[in-house]
Amino acid sequence: MQAAATVPATDTGLALRATGVEMRYSGTLALRGVDVQAKTGTIHALVGENGAGKSTFLGIIAGRVVPTRGTVRIFGQPHVFGAPRQARRLGIATIYQELTIVPALSAQANVFLGQPLAQAGLLDERRMRRRFEELAAEMSVTIRPDAIAGRLSVADQQMLEIMRGVQSGAKLILFDEPTTSLAPPEREALFRLMRQLRAEGTTMMFVSHNLEEVLDISDVVTVFRDGNLSGSAPRSDWSKPALIRAMVGHDVVENRRVERKPRPAGAAPLLAAKGVNVPGAIEAIDISLSPGEILGVGGLVGSGRTSLLRALAGLEPRSTGELTVDGEPVEWPTTPRAALKNGIVLVPEDRKAQGLVLGMSAMDNIAIARFGAVSRFGIISNTAIAAKARSVAREFGFAENRVGTIVRNLSGGNQQKVLLGKARFRGPKILLVDEPTRGIDIGAKDEIMSTLRRLADEGLGIIVVSSDLEEVIAASDRIIVMSEGHKVAELDQTVGPVNVQDILTAAFKVMTHE
Amino acid sequence: MSSLPMTPPAAAKPPGKLALSRDIFLQFGVVWAFVILLIGSTILYPRVFDPTNVKNILSQSAPVGIVAVGMTFVMIGGGFDLSVGSIFALGAVVFGHLADPLGLWGAAGAVLVASTICGIINGLIVTKLRVNPFVATLGTGSAFGGYAFIYSNAAPQVPNDFNFQYLGTESWLGWPISIYILIAVFLAGAFVLARSVYGRSIYATGGNTEAARLSGIPTDVLRASTYVMTAICSGIGGVILSSRLGVGQADMGGSIALDSIAIVVIGGTSLLGGEGAMWRTAIGLLIIATLTNVFDSLAINNNYQLVAKGVIVIGAVALDIYARRMRN
Repeated sequence: MQAAATVPATDTGLALRATGVEMRYSGTLALRGVDVQAKTGTIHALVGENGAGKSTFLGIIAGRVVPTRGTVRIFGQPHVFGAPRQARRLGIATIYQELTIVPALSAQANVFLGQPLAQAGLLDERRMRRRFEELAAEMSVTIRPDAIAGRLSVADQQMLEIMRGVQSGAKLILFDEPTTSLAPPEREALFRLMRQLRAEGTTMMFVSHNLEEVLDISDVVTVFRDGNLSGSAPRSDWSKPALIRAMVGHDVVENRRVERKPRPAGAAPLLAAKGVNVPGAIEAIDISLSPGEILGVGGLVGSGRTSLLRALAGLEPRSTGELTVDGEPVEWPTTPRAALKNGIVLVPEDRKAQGLVLGMSAMDNIAIARFGAVSRFGIISNTAIAAKARSVAREFGFAENRVGTIVRNLSGGNQQKVLLGKARFRGPKILLVDEPTRGIDIGAKDEIMSTLRRLADEGLGIIVVSSDLEEVIAASDRIIVMSEGHKVAELDQTVGPVNVQDILTAAFKVMTHE
Repeated sequence: MSSLPMTPPAAAKPPGKLALSRDIFLQFGVVWAFVILLIGSTILYPRVFDPTNVKNILSQSAPVGIVAVGMTFVMIGGGFDLSVGSIFALGAVVFGHLADPLGLWGAAGAVLVASTICGIINGLIVTKLRVNPFVATLGTGSAFGGYAFIYSNAAPQVPNDFNFQYLGTESWLGWPISIYILIAVFLAGAFVLARSVYGRSIYATGGNTEAARLSGIPTDVLRASTYVMTAICSGIGGVILSSRLGVGQADMGGSIALDSIAIVVIGGTSLLGGEGAMWRTAIGLLIIATLTNVFDSLAINNNYQLVAKGVIVIGAVALDIYARRMRN
């Protein structure tokens, strides 16, 4: 442990003391002078809607963002802003949502990245391996030191980052939405590790949108709203409704299951797929979808849920299967264009990498899906784009007057609305939605889910995949559960309500058999 | 010239006056740079605005300017083309060689065919073999350039038909024909890029190929087409230059690749693709052309000019990167 910080009398027991922190981004205030304190050896959660200022605050502590005003002391020492290396020296490690793993290097090399153990300028591989194994044992992690990091699961990669932080002597670890891409068991493993680190005296601060998890793991919860603190108190003083009230300023019912009007029995399926195979990912899956139905796909990360959606959307060239759309057998799609021709539109899980052109305006992004509808003889009408984009924006609760904004400058929730609006504009018969609410706040989540229900009421067939199983349950009429590339259960909610336990039981039954 | 490719936000949230003027400064920085250059030029070389001199500037920069129009398409589409110089030279020797047997327009047609074939080869290597555009066009540039020498036996192609020099030396209404061609190519390029489905799809492909592909845009065909377009522009450039000089030579493409890329980049079109505009390339061309003209008129040695150009290109890119960082 290189960075043993000395603690002056004034800040005894405080890992962090932020005073009057203000952040201004080209005219708008992201933080309006907030005071936050964190006691050593506690887990501190930061929650709030998108744009409330929590991530900016985390960025300031991480040493990545320079605040316009205010002071921060870390273990009594004044914080040097905008210098991540200095932050590290003060004992701060940050685990970003976009992990900073070097995929081509081994697990071990990643842990010792930038802090190798060396002797006379030569890498001391043996000592590093011993230390890696020590760390792994301390943290009850089972990762082979020479595994190629890029081939590990997201959860394991995250563990490597935490190991790197611990190895650097971090006493204050910051997490930016650590669980968004983790399945429940992986999430549990992370929480176990966080509790263990806390017991050893490490302080942790994390940003999360998942309130259950905030109430589960943290000691103190601080709520941001519009750049201010709207509350900071020990966990025992909070409840989920209280947190939501503090975040949005009014009551929102999260993940409520809405009774949908019954669909005519025996309607011909809108989509039927038989024997769907993606080599190395999924095997022999049969699914069917009726008009107006929302089909949820439950399962853990790596169960093949995303592969199934991608195969149906024509993104898996090596996939095979039989497909019927509207009762007509069609050729199995192996390109996105073929799938789109059948009326199948995918809303991809990674909105930045696969969904949106970040440098383009919201309305251009919406129009990409169907330039034909906004052009004549190949010449685009910007007026037509704006008009169509406005009407789509209205439908998804996206501020109409912002359709001209460059997508990069929108919040995650608004980006997601643009992405869904784009899919909607394509005029699909079947909508495949992968992680529709990842990393977005409760208000936007609610709007998006109710829009999906409305689209289904209009006769669209929708397939939803989400890591948030409660969301899957709340949204869908029927749920198929996947595990290790197979369909292991089909649960019909019109017969009786399903709960998270049912899905996990189905998913794990298979895993324990092997 | 055309409007911005992406219409400005109709009613974006009103930023402070200061922030707004700063944004405008950052967005149109290259225009201010050009204005300052013009003012400086008039001081150093008062006759810079003489009609004769303006005609001179424009007609001299017509060949490389036309190549830069094509290069703008490639670069907004996320690509890069180093083979333009060789296609340019090939165009020049084919034109010179065939002007006698086929006549002016027949020879020009042959150049069109030859350069289209070169462009298709580039496009296929980049999209089908998935070779990085930099390496792909470095390779084809060598091949096309070598073929231009083989085709011409490394000899200057001087046709007997005097008509050959029509495009490069004649004037309409007192202005050289090459200037009309330059302006026509720019206007067509600007319109297609800013207003056509094809142009907007190129922005999308360059900005995020995966997202564009998922949206049903045939990204491979589009990217390949940008190489074909650039090749055709290069062929036209070669035709105009050989027509002006009265000879087609296989070593004519020398600095075309770097100059055309410099023009696009100085204008502020992103090297990463997805961002840029044709008006930017026009300004970039005017900056380079004016600089060269002023340097020449001051009788500055060409070697110093090369050094100055290099510094200006790097400075422009660094400034562009800085401006982008300020905006985010």
